Amino acid sequence: MQKRFFLIVSCIFLLSIFLFFDLVGEWGRLTGGWGNLVIFFEESLWPPNWKVLEAQSYPICDSKLDIFCSVAWLGIVETLKIAFIATVFGFLISLPLSVLAASNLSPIYLALPSRILLAGMRSLPAIIWAVLFMIIFDVGALAGIFAMTFYTVGYLGKLQFESMEGIKNAPLEAAKATGMNRFETAWLVAIPESANNLLSHVLFMFEYNVRHGSVVGLVGAGGIGLYLNTYLKLAQYDKVVALLIIIFIVVVIIDFISMTLRSAVNEGGDVERPTWSSLFLPAAFTSSNHPTPMKKETIEESE
Amino acid sequence: MNEELAHLHEVSIGYVEPLVQDITIEIAAGDVIAILGPSGIGKTTLLRTIAGLVRPLSGDVELGVEPRGGLGYIPQRLGLVGNLSVRANVEMGARVRLSKWHLPFLPLPKDLNEEVTNCLESLGIDHLAEQPVRILSGGQQRRVATARSIAQAPKLLLADEFLGELDDDNVEIVMSAVQHVIDKQNSALVMVEHHEELARQVANRIWKIHDGRLIEED
Ligand SMILES: Nc1ncnc2c1ncn2[C@@H]1O[C@H](COP(=O)(O)OP(=O)(O)OP(=O)(O)O)[C@@H](O)[C@H]1O
Ligand SMILES: [Mg+2]
Repeated sequence: MQKRFFLIVSCIFLLSIFLFFDLVGEWGRLTGGWGNLVIFFEESLWPPNWKVLEAQSYPICDSKLDIFCSVAWLGIVETLKIAFIATVFGFLISLPLSVLAASNLSPIYLALPSRILLAGMRSLPAIIWAVLFMIIFDVGALAGIFAMTFYTVGYLGKLQFESMEGIKNAPLEAAKATGMNRFETAWLVAIPESANNLLSHVLFMFEYNVRHGSVVGLVGAGGIGLYLNTYLKLAQYDKVVALLIIIFIVVVIIDFISMTLRSAVNEGGDVERPTWSSLFLPAAFTSSNHPTPMKKETIEESE
Repeated sequence: MNEELAHLHEVSIGYVEPLVQDITIEIAAGDVIAILGPSGIGKTTLLRTIAGLVRPLSGDVELGVEPRGGLGYIPQRLGLVGNLSVRANVEMGARVRLSKWHLPFLPLPKDLNEEVTNCLESLGIDHLAEQPVRILSGGQQRRVATARSIAQAPKLLLADEFLGELDDDNVEIVMSAVQHVIDKQNSALVMVEHHEELARQVANRIWKIHDGRLIEED
């Protein structure tokens, strides 16, 4: 059994190596590339231009603190707002859809159409949705919100029906035998049983939407991406880097929030929730001896 | 003659291959039936077939009770919702006594709420009511699963090794709580039990599964 597993894994690995060489073809083009990258890095990218944190003259802003009038602040706040709204709306729509799509909760004649619907919403990338909704709503945050909500439904729906399909069978059987209907089973059994995953997926989706807020912004749909786009066009790469660093910091913060929130529904997190000190200091420095919760699964991005 | 709650006619059970064949039995109100047999013989499968969770390979299973509210099932693996509190799990049992149009996020009516509290008390888990089920010990979880079924007050209760992992005192507590509900409305209990001695103490009918056949002892 183990031998066969090893054989299959090595075959898949060899296939990927073969495809890699097949695709790259000519290696000669790569020579000198590294030097070019260093030059590009030193001359255009670094150091980041923190002017993005200074107040700008337009649009007029009457906050006392300069930073609240800066490109970075205005951009990231709008991005966070769009991402938040889209994630909440997307979650509310995708939750019932994923219950319908989960094969252990719904019969095939409901599951199949729901899956097709989700796949359809997912297969158009957010940026295409953004273009479509820009045609309807014109440039601005509304198009961004709609685009992201649509994409979120398709993406989140898939993650969620798969985690619902992964729950244990016994609670579902107990519900079914006693005649609970689908709504009760979903609400009282399937959703609480998969709560850890659902929560982690929603928070991941929020993070994803913050990062892709910059993509949607590129088509003029609001947020920090709008500024990214401008600086890219003007070849002000040092400002681009500054904005990317800010996005990165926000993403890291969301990740920590996610870890803390999910500990509420983790097996390990019952007795003690992780504290900030336990996250940053090695275990020996903190009083508690609970294991730090680990991210249970890595989610592949389909971009 | 007591009211018939379930009737199996020439049923053979199993998943692909039959495990037990040609079962013809009836379950009447007031019966306390213990199913005995070695591990892997198909006891759980028989209960699941009666509960309508697996289709019999052949034959008919007729239920004389409405599954919603009427049929209680304690799975061998308990089937509790670990992330919900003990109380929320027990409320699930009480909830199926309501119409299925009573939305699941609405609270239970007062009388059912009191009954849930009584069930928790009678099984000695009222002090755990607000704890999430996943942090409880094995025996505590077993009592929660029993409480959930008792709160349902079923006409037919199928219990798969619900006395496992319990010490003598707790076996007594759980058994008397179940007995109380059964007596009150003349229900039937079908239990799988590995301890033959215990089974003979509490049951008034014994089914033995042996060699792919189900035999009732006189
Ligand atoms: N879902 C399933 N699909 C296929 N085979 C199954 C399934 N569930 C159980 N079996 C098999 O059916 C047989 C009987 O299982 P069952 O759970 O009914 O045994 P049991 O008598 O309850 O045993 P135990 O006393 O150990 O609980 C076992 O060999 C088991 O592997
Ligand atoms: Mg069993």
